[in-house]
Amino acid sequence: MKIEAKAVEALLSGNHILKGIDLDIGDRELVGVIGPNGSGKSTLLKCIYRVLKPTGGAVYLDGRPLDSYPYRESALRVAVVAQHNYYNFDFSVRDVVLMGRAPHKRALERDNAEDFRIVAESLETVGMTAFADRSFSTLSGGEQQRVILARALAQRTPCLILDEPTNHLDIKYQLQLMDLVRGLDRTVIAAVHDLNIAAMYCDRLYAVKDGRIVGQGAPEKLLTPDFIREVYEVDAQVMTDGDSALHILFHPGKGRKENAV
Amino acid sequence: MRNGKAGLLRSTPAWLAALVLLLAALALSLLVAVTIGSTDIPISDVYHVIFYKLFGSGDPAWGEGNLFRAVWYLRLPRLILAAGIGVSLSTCGVVMQAIVKNPLADPYILGISSGASLGATLAVLMGVGAVFGGNSIGIMAFLGAFGVSLLVVGLANVGSRANSVKLLLAGMAVSSVCSAFSNFIVYIAHDREGMQTVTYWMMGSLAGATWERDAAVLLVAVLGAGFFWTQYRNLNLMLLGDENAITLGTDLHRWRQLYLLVSAAMVGFAVYSAGMIGFVGLVVPHVVRMIFGTDHKKLIPLCALAGAVFLVWADVACRVLIKGTELPIGILTSMIGAPCFIYLMARKKYGFGGGD
Repeated sequence: MKIEAKAVEALLSGNHILKGIDLDIGDRELVGVIGPNGSGKSTLLKCIYRVLKPTGGAVYLDGRPLDSYPYRESALRVAVVAQHNYYNFDFSVRDVVLMGRAPHKRALERDNAEDFRIVAESLETVGMTAFADRSFSTLSGGEQQRVILARALAQRTPCLILDEPTNHLDIKYQLQLMDLVRGLDRTVIAAVHDLNIAAMYCDRLYAVKDGRIVGQGAPEKLLTPDFIREVYEVDAQVMTDGDSALHILFHPGKGRKENAV
Repeated sequence: MRNGKAGLLRSTPAWLAALVLLLAALALSLLVAVTIGSTDIPISDVYHVIFYKLFGSGDPAWGEGNLFRAVWYLRLPRLILAAGIGVSLSTCGVVMQAIVKNPLADPYILGISSGASLGATLAVLMGVGAVFGGNSIGIMAFLGAFGVSLLVVGLANVGSRANSVKLLLAGMAVSSVCSAFSNFIVYIAHDREGMQTVTYWMMGSLAGATWERDAAVLLVAVLGAGFFWTQYRNLNLMLLGDENAITLGTDLHRWRQLYLLVSAAMVGFAVYSAGMIGFVGLVVPHVVRMIFGTDHKKLIPLCALAGAVFLVWADVACRVLIKGTELPIGILTSMIGAPCFIYLMARKKYGFGGGD
């Protein structure tokens, strides 16, 4: 599934958050969106998963404008694991994952054996089978995030959007989740905070700053110390180890040094 | 629930079994309740009348006289009305709780019942809506209910998205406005008979039950509850919030308006035939949720039946609690329900039946 954004602009309560963004994401590509807080990463993704309507430009799924899809049709193509998933109610884990089947259902259609099989399979994939009967609200943040991923998987969409999915996961689950996502063989767009994780897993990165794309390309080409300084205003050192994996080391800010003296 | 299970009994067979059990309990409740009343009628006589009427069996003498009238035209229609209203009010409670994403919502607290009352008062005392003909009171109650439900949700959304506090405040404010106008109309109308009608509305009473009324209320209640049962998936999505729902393929905005319309019809008919019966939509769903979890596929039918059973017995209690008089049912349900409401509000964190 191909996803394109052309000159996407977004205004949020009078502030110009996105100032003309172009994206071009190919089939089965794992693309990371990076950028500092408030750069517009999340707003951009929200425009792609239809929670926000761009005030200018448009998003295209397989060349067709997103607006022309009924919501049900777009939910059959794009599934989302969003940033905040704090729910205060007593759904069981299975109930929550079953909701991922909603776009596949007509108005009066009941859940059938196939749906339950897909739910079980999705829970298996994220390693939450044992939690199926637990109440969702009693799970830890990391467990909840994996259940929401299972829900997105149960949607069986060719594209998955992860809006800072690893936010409140500890490092083990961050890596686990990204491993899982990489193994999915689908188009994935992920907003990623941690540059090392972005470098480790993404085929290609888009860097967003002040509502504009300030660079894009393969992680090892894009993430140079100069570029990191330009986008994040920090000093960093980029190293490659034997496996040609990228490691980014950050240096303490200058301010702190001066204060210490 | 505290061990992390979503509801005590959550597997499918358990809730289906509970459904059958509740259906049986409702039938049994009706059969038992019909034998209880302010006048002592031997149980066998009661059934003789019912059997005669239903199956034409037995002595034709059972089909006439005071005894017959007491059973067939007073007790039975009244119990059926109680069951129908119980279905409507508790189903609407569940639906409104989903619409506003808050387990404290209820047709009474959100001011919808007082909207219906205002509509009915206008019809009874001012003759407003006479163009609707014989059903003008019911139609005005419905219009009042629907208008107020839109107003409350609209008010709560002014400025920022609705939250529980804003909804409760909006509900109370609109409710006060409606009561004030109802009282104003009652005061200036100088219509003794009309005033009595209105007072009976405010306190709620099932005494006005007739078979014709039952048929209308039951039809709306069963159709409404059936409709909402088919909407369980959307109701579940409502609890996840609009953003999640969009990513799962449903734009809830239009559905919300439709659900409000159907709820208003159900509440409107209930209020039209029995006045204000508060807190049923709050207490029944809360108890059912505690046992069976939040999934609306189970919640809607279970609440509908539990609400019917609850109101049948509440009506029995009204008739026997104080010897010689009959307590208005709205007073009884409020006396039970209001403390439950306070308890729910006072709890530090209240989720949909768990999670604390």
